[in-house]
Amino acid sequence: MQALTVISGLLYMAGFYRTGFVYAGLLCQMIYMAYRGMALGRLPIVGPHDTLFFMSASTMVFALAVTARHKERLRLLLPLVGLALFFTALSALYKPHNTPLPPVLKTFWFESHVALSFFSYALFGIAAVFGGLFLSVKDQYVETLQYKAILVGYCFFSTAMIFGGVWAYLAWGTYWLWTPKELWTVILWLFYSLYLHARLRQWWAGRPSAILGIVGFFIVMFTYLGVSLFMKSSHSF
Amino acid sequence: MIGMVKKIFGVLASLRTGIWLLFSLIAMLLYGSLIMPVREEFQALHTTPLFEWLYDSPAAVTWWLFGAIVILSLLTANTVLCSIESLLRKRSARNLLLVISPQVIHIGFLFVLLAHLLSSYDSFQGMGQAAKGTTLQLPNGSVAIIDDIRADIDPAGFINDWSADVRYMSGGKELAKDSMRPNSPSFYDGIGLYIKTVRFEPFPVALIQISRDPGAPWALVGGVLFLIGMTTLLVLKIRMEEAVQ
Repeated sequence: MQALTVISGLLYMAGFYRTGFVYAGLLCQMIYMAYRGMALGRLPIVGPHDTLFFMSASTMVFALAVTARHKERLRLLLPLVGLALFFTALSALYKPHNTPLPPVLKTFWFESHVALSFFSYALFGIAAVFGGLFLSVKDQYVETLQYKAILVGYCFFSTAMIFGGVWAYLAWGTYWLWTPKELWTVILWLFYSLYLHARLRQWWAGRPSAILGIVGFFIVMFTYLGVSLFMKSSHSF
Repeated sequence: MIGMVKKIFGVLASLRTGIWLLFSLIAMLLYGSLIMPVREEFQALHTTPLFEWLYDSPAAVTWWLFGAIVILSLLTANTVLCSIESLLRKRSARNLLLVISPQVIHIGFLFVLLAHLLSSYDSFQGMGQAAKGTTLQLPNGSVAIIDDIRADIDPAGFINDWSADVRYMSGGKELAKDSMRPNSPSFYDGIGLYIKTVRFEPFPVALIQISRDPGAPWALVGGVLFLIGMTTLLVLKIRMEEAVQ
């Protein structure tokens, strides 16, 4: 079944030739995740393999939706396919986490916290790609798309933080833990709050806010992977 | 004097100030996240209220938190003043919901800050192992007695779930009975009892955590307000977009 991850990657590559292959790649990802979900009896969103794969699929779902009504769809979609392909390849570097979950992770709050976090990460990734596109083609419409992706991503991320707080309170007796992961999560949330406020000012509009949107995604990746890899924290994957 | 007050008000009520305060806060937390894993003093922060920990710890490891508190205080003033100024400026706007929803988000944020303030001042956390019949002293003067410890183990040997029964007593009188399991603590009089893990050899023992977090209900109120404001704003923006198209 893991061959589906390779097939989906190959289909995404073929997507650079024809858009139909992108849909086929996404379908393969969905089948793989559904299979793993049924085999494990839970959402496959634990460990870097599953989360990176989930992030890749989320990126593609949002990318197809965001670009659906656009006249020059391919110009916007292809860099996003590249992003999804990157996450698919990255997920292949990690072994799937197949052991049963500890009781503390068997809750709606955990699953929704993780799923919403990765929806937001995917949207922040899409926004970073749009930011890069805006800097190269100077099309104001692309910058507006970046803003919209960040606004929706911020909504998902804030909800994920609140759900995470509820879960933490029910599992550990406090909605806030002093760990590097929590601090980076707040840094990320503050950074996108900063983006949304800064964009209201004329000085920050356009190029500076596009750059902020790109920088934000580096913070996303550090919060997600960097903290777990480089910092000692009880809150990791 | 009035000119000076007006000037300070003008600076505090400015969006530009808010943006630079956010930048400074991010810088402080960034520094904190880097020293947190390498300094042992932070281990005590998990079990001590923040203000007590700040008082007891050396300034070399706490200065960034003091800085963050100062910036957050200024950000609170900035949020309140910007919200009031925005409401006054846009009070005659046609779509009032569009004016109000960002302020609901701000109120939600302020509630979360209030929650942190309360938790930093008066939270409590204790942990200990308890066997059947163990009496745990609670911070409100009453006691909790562990009556039973159970686990559900699958054929492969993995523990699927565990739980414990608890009885609350005060002055020899039974106050309440309850049970607890992972993600489902037992609450009594604002105090939560959490079963962290269990061990059955040589006899059943549970690791029990006793917690009190006075900020939690306010954090929930803040979170709900934040979500209501955010969702309303998003829906309104989508509708406006569709109307333009």
